[in-house]
Amino acid sequence: MIEVEQLSKVYPGGVEAVAGIDFQVGPGEVFGLLGPNGAGKSTTIGVLTTTILPTGGTARVGGFDVVRQPLAARRVSSVVFQEPVVDRSLIGRRNLEIHASLWQVEPRAAKTRIAELTDALGIAALVDRPVSGYSGGERRRLELARALVSSPSVLFLDEPTVGLDPRIRQELLEIVGRLAEQAELTILLTTHYLDEAERLADRVAVMHEGRIVALDRPERLRRRLGRELVELKVRNDLGIALNALRERGIAGDDAFAIGSTLTIPLHDLTAHRAIDTINELGLASSISAREPTLDDVYVQLTGARLAAAA
Amino acid sequence: MTAITPLITLSQRRFELTARRPRELFVPLITPILFALVIAPALKVALHTGSAYESFVAVGTIGLLIPLTTMFSGLSVIVDRESAQRELLAAPVPRPFLVLGNLAVALAVTAFQVVALLGFALARGIDFHAGLAGLGWFLPAAVLFAVGMYGAAEALAGRVPRQEEYIARVPAIAIVPWFIAGALFPITALPSFLTWIARFLPLTHGLALMRYGLLGDSSGLHDIWGSGSSTSMALLSLAVVALFALVLTVGSIRVFNRTAVK
Repeated sequence: MIEVEQLSKVYPGGVEAVAGIDFQVGPGEVFGLLGPNGAGKSTTIGVLTTTILPTGGTARVGGFDVVRQPLAARRVSSVVFQEPVVDRSLIGRRNLEIHASLWQVEPRAAKTRIAELTDALGIAALVDRPVSGYSGGERRRLELARALVSSPSVLFLDEPTVGLDPRIRQELLEIVGRLAEQAELTILLTTHYLDEAERLADRVAVMHEGRIVALDRPERLRRRLGRELVELKVRNDLGIALNALRERGIAGDDAFAIGSTLTIPLHDLTAHRAIDTINELGLASSISAREPTLDDVYVQLTGARLAAAA
Repeated sequence: MTAITPLITLSQRRFELTARRPRELFVPLITPILFALVIAPALKVALHTGSAYESFVAVGTIGLLIPLTTMFSGLSVIVDRESAQRELLAAPVPRPFLVLGNLAVALAVTAFQVVALLGFALARGIDFHAGLAGLGWFLPAAVLFAVGMYGAAEALAGRVPRQEEYIARVPAIAIVPWFIAGALFPITALPSFLTWIARFLPLTHGLALMRYGLLGDSSGLHDIWGSGSSTSMALLSLAVVALFALVLTVGSIRVFNRTAVK
């Protein structure tokens, strides 16, 4: 449904936002594009939604080339943008009707679809009020309903939960989760919230400085770091501590550090044995063991903590 | 559903947004109506001119009304950029439709205002003696000039990032040419270098055509072209206004495409 080959975008002034990325998203798949601000996610979505022209490579949406067949590519897709993109002075229903008409949905079909979606997304009671009176969460649900009115094959969700309070964010994730279960809908989700990607995406690509540095199923990405890892606050010199742990066979080449915190993936070792050894060496002021997360994968790949970089 | 359906939808959307802000309809009317109904009669008395002068100025004020209205319409492009423009850009419609949809509503609003102005002027006793042939000159001149001015508004809105910067440029585009385009007095009354500049202004040609159509007065056309038949001079001026409309419309679509698609 989405095919991206050697896609690149260099903005005037020489800023390389996307540097030759490749990925494919199959029908019905939920694909997460992860990375901090400036990683190239929004530029990639911009190219796929034909609002940014690539400077190299190709991209196809629903089989249509986004440069040569932009109208056809737009016809099969919809977008929920990162920032509010609505006519605030119009009522919610009118926003939905305008989308339906621009996507050439027959008026009778549009009416039925709007009724179904507003019910399903819990906005039926407020859809006849001006959007200017909606809360952030209500507006987000309206934007989601609008994107779905035209029954797109491909749905782009560009950081859809940014700026929402935690409760509304959870509600919205549940809704997107239900959408993801629909076999006929392909979703490309960009986010810098790793839990969203883990929860929703079948596969994720981690972007860093315009490149894809990892692409796999979330659990397989986590498994790169073993079943468990230990995290220790190092008392003295980090390099000396790391060397000592390598000599004792605790740390491998994939150990990584942020500041004075050293993270050691444990592949064949148990956390118990690793902690005993670290204590024996007297290297750490604190130690903990836990399962790896996508954040660890990101730090290990890029040398920066995703949340901090975002 | 036809290929034109999205264009109608875009125009309807723009109209609904405009209708929710009635000030966009009525504020641009205030100054021209003041000119036509208060200042022109006062000048007539002060300068001891005849009733023909009131008619002259009434048509001249259309030359202020059209630029003001179309420039106000251009503000909506900047508002769109901060609201639903990205949704419209993601829609499967040719991008020039986004400009043309706005243009259709700008023309409708302008037409409403010109009719209101002429209605007020007639009610005040200002005399027009236009026949069908006269309207045949007046209408294309007014419409093409409005199309060109909207093109200027759309292009300007595409190039400036904020409303304040846009508004700061409006007087130079909408008001300054009005003073030298023969709205209040013939362009031959200006210093000769300004007369020459006025001959190149689309507004000068538009006003001369509108007066020829509504008042049967071809002196404005003679001031521009010198001697010749009134019809051929009117055709030449109409060609100038049509060229202005075409260039500005094509230019505004190009500016929109360049600024909307990075």
